[in-house]
Amino acid sequence: MQQTLHSTTLANGIVVLGEYLPGLESVAIAFHAPAGAVHDGPGRCGLATLSGEMMLRGAGDRTSRQIIEALEGGGVQWSQAVSTSHASFSGAMVARQLTVALPIYADIIRRPRLEEDQLESARQMVLQNLAGTEDDPAHRAMSALRQLHYSTPWGMPSEGVSAEVEGIGIDAIRGFVSAHVRPGGMIIAAAGRIDWETFVAGVERLFGDWDAGAPETVRTGGRGPRFRHVHHDSQQTHIAVAWSVPPYRSDESYEATAALAILGGGSSSRLFSEVRERRGLCYSVSSGYQTLRDQAAAICYSGTSAARAQETLDVILEEIDRLPGTIEQSELDRVKARAKSGLVMQQESSAARAGSIARQWYHLGTMRTLGEELDRYDRLSVGSIEGWLADNPVRDLSVVSLGREPLEVPDEVRA
Amino acid sequence: MKFVHERLDNGLDVIAEITDGALSTSVGFFVKTGARDESDAIWGASHFLEHMVFKGTHDLSGDEINRRFDWMGAAANAFTSEEDTVYHAAVLPEQQHEAVSLLARMMRPALREEDFTTEKLVILEEIRMYDDQPPFGADDRCRAAFFGRHPLARSVLGTVASIEALPVEAMREYHRRRYAPGNIVLAATGAVDFAALLESARRHCGDWEPLASADRTTAPGRHPPDGRSTIESITRPAATLEYAVRMSAGPAGNDDDRYAAKLLAVILGDDSGSRLYWSLVDSGEAEQASCHHHDFLDAGFFATQLSCDAEDVEPLLSRIVDVYATTASAGIEAAELEQARNKLAGRVVLGGERPRRRLFSVGLEWAHTGGYRSVADDLRIVEGLGLEDVHRMLARWPLHGPSATVLAGPHSADASAPAAAKAE
Repeated sequence: MQQTLHSTTLANGIVVLGEYLPGLESVAIAFHAPAGAVHDGPGRCGLATLSGEMMLRGAGDRTSRQIIEALEGGGVQWSQAVSTSHASFSGAMVARQLTVALPIYADIIRRPRLEEDQLESARQMVLQNLAGTEDDPAHRAMSALRQLHYSTPWGMPSEGVSAEVEGIGIDAIRGFVSAHVRPGGMIIAAAGRIDWETFVAGVERLFGDWDAGAPETVRTGGRGPRFRHVHHDSQQTHIAVAWSVPPYRSDESYEATAALAILGGGSSSRLFSEVRERRGLCYSVSSGYQTLRDQAAAICYSGTSAARAQETLDVILEEIDRLPGTIEQSELDRVKARAKSGLVMQQESSAARAGSIARQWYHLGTMRTLGEELDRYDRLSVGSIEGWLADNPVRDLSVVSLGREPLEVPDEVRA
Repeated sequence: MKFVHERLDNGLDVIAEITDGALSTSVGFFVKTGARDESDAIWGASHFLEHMVFKGTHDLSGDEINRRFDWMGAAANAFTSEEDTVYHAAVLPEQQHEAVSLLARMMRPALREEDFTTEKLVILEEIRMYDDQPPFGADDRCRAAFFGRHPLARSVLGTVASIEALPVEAMREYHRRRYAPGNIVLAATGAVDFAALLESARRHCGDWEPLASADRTTAPGRHPPDGRSTIESITRPAATLEYAVRMSAGPAGNDDDRYAAKLLAVILGDDSGSRLYWSLVDSGEAEQASCHHHDFLDAGFFATQLSCDAEDVEPLLSRIVDVYATTASAGIEAAELEQARNKLAGRVVLGGERPRRRLFSVGLEWAHTGGYRSVADDLRIVEGLGLEDVHRMLARWPLHGPSATVLAGPHSADASAPAAAKAE
């Protein structure tokens, strides 16, 4: 498959990426500003999320309503999200609308009004979203797990903490945006039916005269306890388990990803077969790989009735323990097949590709071609995965249970 | 894009939308059966059967099915609704035959008693999982109130009691009756080799015994029953927010006004940029305030969903009804219509690029109407909708009119509170 990837860096540090996808009518664009929740600071958890919301509420000569009407009037499917590392503004549209959308995004990113009269509405919106997450037990369990697993402040919930969101003022937001929404560390990616030269010229015209500025670094702290029970008055108990694995930019992340896929990545995976299919313990059980730039986590999750939760956790831990020395070639073949078709099918979505090349740049400082990715999967072997498992035993398990009663966890977690 | 259709001698429809240059192939069996085809004695059987289809045939174990899907790199799954049970897989084109063959064989499951007993536990867990999540059963309860004695009143999952009581023989009988070839559509989209698709269908489905087309009870009627508004509540002391689901009548799937209904729902209650968004969500008063149109063979409704602080639920529901009433009396502005049309057109184009999404549009349309609409057809419909269409909708289907409403959350609501019925 022919693949056309482009990249350039503007004089002020903005990285511009593009991928031409033949056969598509659409273009997707993604702006990733290094203004993620990791910069919230003590007592201000939710500052990045509130700032991201405020950036949409009036920019340049458009009001909040005019921004949304201009984007949606152009048929742009827009979204805004704040993660641990980035504030992201994205849109997918019919290709001819890109020239309409780009200047609107330039206003949002460079000229947000951040007016005080929008602050209370924005704050209430963030608080409503937080209240909604309180009613989502799986989300709460995973959020608690990230706080246990990652070194501070990397595990803090990007959606914020209500009591801290209440206290954030307009000056903190203006300070945050001016400090972190900067050309240095900014990635702008487009994928789909793009003309690269025209796109770069457009980005240069709208962002080229923005003063350079380097992203702020983050001081990484320590980690907390290894086990937490969250009381929640629910029928099901939710179980979330994590341990450390290499981040995406480490070459060994492929071995880790494959091992986790064998453990719980598909319907023929060990967790699905043993926990759901054979024992009927739960409806959902899985394991997966989650990466930040310098840390990553292997994560297992299940939700099941309180009475069967202990057995579910015990079986999950047994399957984790059983992994080294037992990997079969047929399991690896299935993992490779799933990875390959997933990578190819991603080429059918401009939005998926724009997000993917931007993430690759953040993690690797380059983009990997489909051929390079497939080649790396081809080089996975039972030997390479077993070697990695032998060198990297699971040793820093974190466990969260959420439900009516806490679960029994291994001594090393309790300690 | 090219559309093709053949019917096997036993009545199985085989359809495909073929896209030159597509990178993947999506295939699916669309069985025209769902919760509306059940009775009290087999409530939840359609969805439970969907799970059992993955537990194996007489010569293929459930583990083997799971391994084969993973081995071919398939994104495979299934879902059950009020009217459909759909089994689907997205694969690279070279795996088309494997995927179709496996899905076809699965349509004749063994329905072994020991698998049935184990899977029953999984279904009960699924029921508990949804019961723990917003809107805490308010959607099912609301549909029951809205449809009254109509077959669409039945929830898809069933209840803990109905699932515990279901015998395996009842499921086997249901399968014999509902999975006849004349009641199934095999659909494919993307990079499809149609000759090979037909060959796979003939080989694996050709010997399925034809039955007279399975009966389906359709019952046009007035919803909510007798045109009377109702409001009920479900108390969940531990919930943080209050959730409300409100249903009012809308055009059915055989009504040409269903397209205008979708457009009206975008104007009124899309997740962003709609009238409800600017009235309730932008201010942070509601976590969600949305309106969507759903259509079925013989009925349709507009579903309004609200989540907010418990003490605000009644005033905000009143405000939503006011938005509907004002829209009905003052009408829609041309600029709003244009924005909504462009939004819908954008969704049609972007959705049309992915064979996985097209499979559901193409398969469900054929299963429901026996017809086909291309992406270009959909765009023409959207672009042809004018103010007069939306205004006709508002007159025919007053959203501020009779409704069923269910609240769920910490609010200990007075069930006689007339908030949702106010502007009736």
